[in-house]
Amino acid sequence: MASSSLLTIGVSALNAAQMGLQTAGHNIANANTPGFNRQEVLVGTRPALYTGAGYMGQGVEVNTVRRVYSQFLNGQVLSEQGQAAMLNTYYAQIQEINNVIADPNAGISPAIQDFFGAINNVAGAPESQPARQAMLNSANAMTARFQSLGQRFTDIYSSVNLQISNSVSLVNSYSQQIAALNKNIVAQQSANSQTPNDLLDQRDQLVAQLNTEIKTSVVKQNDGSYNIFVGNGQSLVVGTNVFSLDIVQSPTDPSKQDVVYTDMSGAQTTIQQSSLQGGNLGGFLTFRETTLTTSQNALGRVAMGIAGLVNEQHQLGQDLNGSMGGSFFTQPTPTVYANTKNSIPGTIIKASINNPADYASLTGSDYTLKYNGANFTLTRLFDNTVTTLIPGAPDANGVIQLSPAVDGLSLTATEGAIPGTVGAVIGDNFTIRPTVDASSTISVNITDPAKIAVGMPIRAKTAPNPDPNLGSGKISSVSVQGFTSSSVNGTLLASGQPDTTPSPAIIRFSGAPGTPASSFDVIDSTTQLPVVDPVLGVLQGLAFPPGVDININGWTTSLSGTPNPGDAYTFGPNINAVAGNTGIANFTSPVMAPVTLTYTLDPATNIGTFSGFPANLPVTLTDKGISTTFAAGAPVTYIPGATLSFGGVNVSIAGTPANNDTFTIEPNVNATSDSRNALLMANLQTKNTLGAPANGRAATMTFQGAYAQWVSDVGNKTRELQVTSTAQTAMAAQTVATQQSFSGVNLDEEAANLMRYQRAYQAAGKALQIGNSLFDTILSLGR
Amino acid sequence: MRVSTSTIFDTNVSMLNQQQTALLHTNQQVASGRRMLTPADDPAASANALQIMQADATNTQYATNRNTAKSSIGLAEAVLQNVTNLLSDVKTSAVQAGNGALSNNDKQTIATELQGRLDQLIALANTSDGTGNYLFSGYQGKTIPFVNTSTGIQYMADDGQRMIQVSSSRQMAGSESGADIFTRIKNGNGKFVTEAPIDPATLLPTNVGNASITQGAVTGAVNIANLPLTISFADPATYSITDVNGNAVIDSNGIDLSNVNYISGQAITLPGMVFSISGTPAAGDSFSVKPSSNEGIFKTMTDLIQALNTATPAQLTTSLGKAMSGLDRGLDSVLTARASLGARLNELDTLQTTGEDLGLQFKQTLSTLQDLDYNKAISDLNRQTTSLQAAQKSFKQISDLSLFNYM
Repeated sequence: MASSSLLTIGVSALNAAQMGLQTAGHNIANANTPGFNRQEVLVGTRPALYTGAGYMGQGVEVNTVRRVYSQFLNGQVLSEQGQAAMLNTYYAQIQEINNVIADPNAGISPAIQDFFGAINNVAGAPESQPARQAMLNSANAMTARFQSLGQRFTDIYSSVNLQISNSVSLVNSYSQQIAALNKNIVAQQSANSQTPNDLLDQRDQLVAQLNTEIKTSVVKQNDGSYNIFVGNGQSLVVGTNVFSLDIVQSPTDPSKQDVVYTDMSGAQTTIQQSSLQGGNLGGFLTFRETTLTTSQNALGRVAMGIAGLVNEQHQLGQDLNGSMGGSFFTQPTPTVYANTKNSIPGTIIKASINNPADYASLTGSDYTLKYNGANFTLTRLFDNTVTTLIPGAPDANGVIQLSPAVDGLSLTATEGAIPGTVGAVIGDNFTIRPTVDASSTISVNITDPAKIAVGMPIRAKTAPNPDPNLGSGKISSVSVQGFTSSSVNGTLLASGQPDTTPSPAIIRFSGAPGTPASSFDVIDSTTQLPVVDPVLGVLQGLAFPPGVDININGWTTSLSGTPNPGDAYTFGPNINAVAGNTGIANFTSPVMAPVTLTYTLDPATNIGTFSGFPANLPVTLTDKGISTTFAAGAPVTYIPGATLSFGGVNVSIAGTPANNDTFTIEPNVNATSDSRNALLMANLQTKNTLGAPANGRAATMTFQGAYAQWVSDVGNKTRELQVTSTAQTAMAAQTVATQQSFSGVNLDEEAANLMRYQRAYQAAGKALQIGNSLFDTILSLGR
Repeated sequence: MRVSTSTIFDTNVSMLNQQQTALLHTNQQVASGRRMLTPADDPAASANALQIMQADATNTQYATNRNTAKSSIGLAEAVLQNVTNLLSDVKTSAVQAGNGALSNNDKQTIATELQGRLDQLIALANTSDGTGNYLFSGYQGKTIPFVNTSTGIQYMADDGQRMIQVSSSRQMAGSESGADIFTRIKNGNGKFVTEAPIDPATLLPTNVGNASITQGAVTGAVNIANLPLTISFADPATYSITDVNGNAVIDSNGIDLSNVNYISGQAITLPGMVFSISGTPAAGDSFSVKPSSNEGIFKTMTDLIQALNTATPAQLTTSLGKAMSGLDRGLDSVLTARASLGARLNELDTLQTTGEDLGLQFKQTLSTLQDLDYNKAISDLNRQTTSLQAAQKSFKQISDLSLFNYM
């Protein structure tokens, strides 16, 4: 009995040792298997046998093979690795931008400097064709640089979209595998009440992989299956059911791809970037929504500013042919997308930037515009500032102004089917991205070097010998400041000064529908009143063609062509067609009608005044920053050196004129050596033109400054990510090391285990041998 | 604590990676000579560097602009120097013409010589630069500024000054208007001019006596509205002064100046002005005091040549006096222009020095911001190499340790 029980005990020990050896071997074999948790054999004593001498041990039995697994440590690894994946992905992506701008000698900035340098060279030799050609070349080089950088961003954008799509496929694939494993695990666990260790390891590994793609939360069920949730609690895996993520084109922005979740009913919800703060997907989305978008907008703002402000100045100048300068650059325009789910399809909203000060107000943010049935609310996405925009009355072309203008953007809506209202219904919304495409769309509009407007269109007239003036007064400067206007806006600027920004007159054609226009009106865009021509009188209902030159606010042009009724043109130093014109009216380049100012000295008061300004234009006198406006026709007090502004023309007279002295401002014909406008354009380089802290406040940055600020922003963010991603990776490595120190395989330990179980096996063998020999002893007794 | 075998390898590999990354970074810094390889290396400094690069580029551009300004101003100055010499010669000739011993032929010779000088002066005023732009034609570089017309020599261009940006805060005129230098010259003393009447047909004086009037001086506020004044001699011993409306003028001492005794050389003091008449007037002679008006240098010379050709000796004295004062004022005008040009050249030199200093400053700042400190970089490189080698060696050693070696 005793010997047989020794044999039984020995066999149990042999078995236990063998299983121990097997487990050590399994551990050694899987030492490098990702997600493997080391396993250990749990042994216990067999139930003892009661004898008269007490309980006799009956050997060992193997209870189970257990994986050494800590849910807490694994959870930590998941969360740290998910975070690390996001930061590493973001870092890897932002490096692309960081590297693009790495070399200060190869970025946009030398191109900008070359361009302005070339303008300076033209200013030094205004009539020189080579200098003018060089200016065009460097302008082309600059726009090419903008375009290639813009293109690079577009490429990065598409590549990110592609990677988001890959990431989403991976998520779906992992979800399916996890669901399949859920099924197996539940089945095996319920069948034999032992845990399928290796399957659990595989599933945990899949969850870890899923977690590097997307941040998840895992809930373990009682039956052993995992339920997995993403975003704001959307279930990805529930037991054996899988819900997939999809990629669809964003309804608010056709260039963007949204991640959507399809629930049980088939309804799709967009998962916002803000609820995906982890995993590669989180990294890609964060990069796309923040750094990449900001970069496109920031670079676009510089491009738009250069194009807009150089154009504004260029249009005030006069080219070698004596015509007013046109657009030097093709002006990039703000991008507006209508939500594809809007009730009334089509983009009824237009955004534009109307005057130089508005470029300073551009923020580089994107906006959403939502219609609430009566008004629009404009949300600046950068900081969620909301402004209510109120639609005005539609003009003759059905364009409705939305006021106020926000951040330099003037918005208009198209009139809808119901007259007098905008063509939108409640809830319709629009995405406005003012500068996103500017760097890709900027280009040079001029190809003929002679068309660069280097001079100014007006000058002080010099009488042939001798000058009849008796006094020493002299016109010290004349320049064209802006568009012609017969009025001064009533609004005050932040500085407390009246807003003297001139607004253009509008030429509108009318006549019987279906036939070419037969008459026209000229209307001041601010006062909405007809403009008065010194010769033709009130410019309202005049027969077209007029046959003689018309004089609008001191500028004359000859009008011809075949416009249709309803066509309109804005009239400034440049004449621009209003969108939607169906006919074509031709204008000659406007020429300033000469103005002769006469000085009158009142002998009683000894106060001098000027008269002779264009009859319908008020005159603004600016002395040492203080402006006074004189009504049209009123004599204007003489202050030496003060600036007199009328109809967009600035004149400054200094010295002591004598009574009846006259000063004439005339068209600047043959002015091949005049470089005043080029100097003004060149000065834009060092002038603060961008980045006003608020509407109407002074600009704070040059073009280069705005570019440098963006470079610094990207650099800072990259550096921040460099640090945080390194730290997070180290953190993740630390938690992995901790988890591995608990669950990982140590080969030395396994070697020791091998030796231990080998010894145990040998000892058990010895016990069997002894048991056997004991048995032999008994048998030999019987011989 | 347990250490899993894979952790040993993973940790070592990641350590080696980190060290290699750092080593490569230093290596790239050394190879490129740049401290910042990307803006992320020092965001503030890279933004700063961009700003300074622009400042440096504009500074260099201003230096180019200054050279342009210097050459055009220098050219104008050289031309005006010739004009100065020419006008001095003309003055000498005019003085020579005053010699009473000269015969009509001699005077005509001088007149011919002066005509040559006038042509030369017009040529100088119409000088163009190397690219065919006239120096003194304002904005109209291709318009010849001074043209001889039937009504005298006329200025055909404008008053525009060709401005050049010579420093960030200074635009300098690179040219002078020809009208300002040659034609917009106030006659008399700048406020009023005293004249003997001139026959408009012959351009010769009409006074018969040999009395002459001084140019006069401004002593206070002159009421230009009262001008011109007429000083008329009813007989050689009495004169009256009337204003523009024919009213008798009251002098500063309150004396009504009608039929006052004439004393040769005595100062006549009127409100704001003083002048005197000397010599012997003839009955009916008169003088006038008019507001100063513009009289060009060409007109002065044309009038002088005309007088030399046709005037009687008595007339010639008056004409010569007028011409001399005209030439003086012309010379003044040219010298004023030259002084202005010279001052600008001086300023350009100063700006050049400032610009060079500034450029040096920018380069230094840029260098501090961008350039690599090689001493530090090489020392970093050596340190990083050593520590990478140590890490490799220790990895090798640790990975060799295994219990299996002894089984």
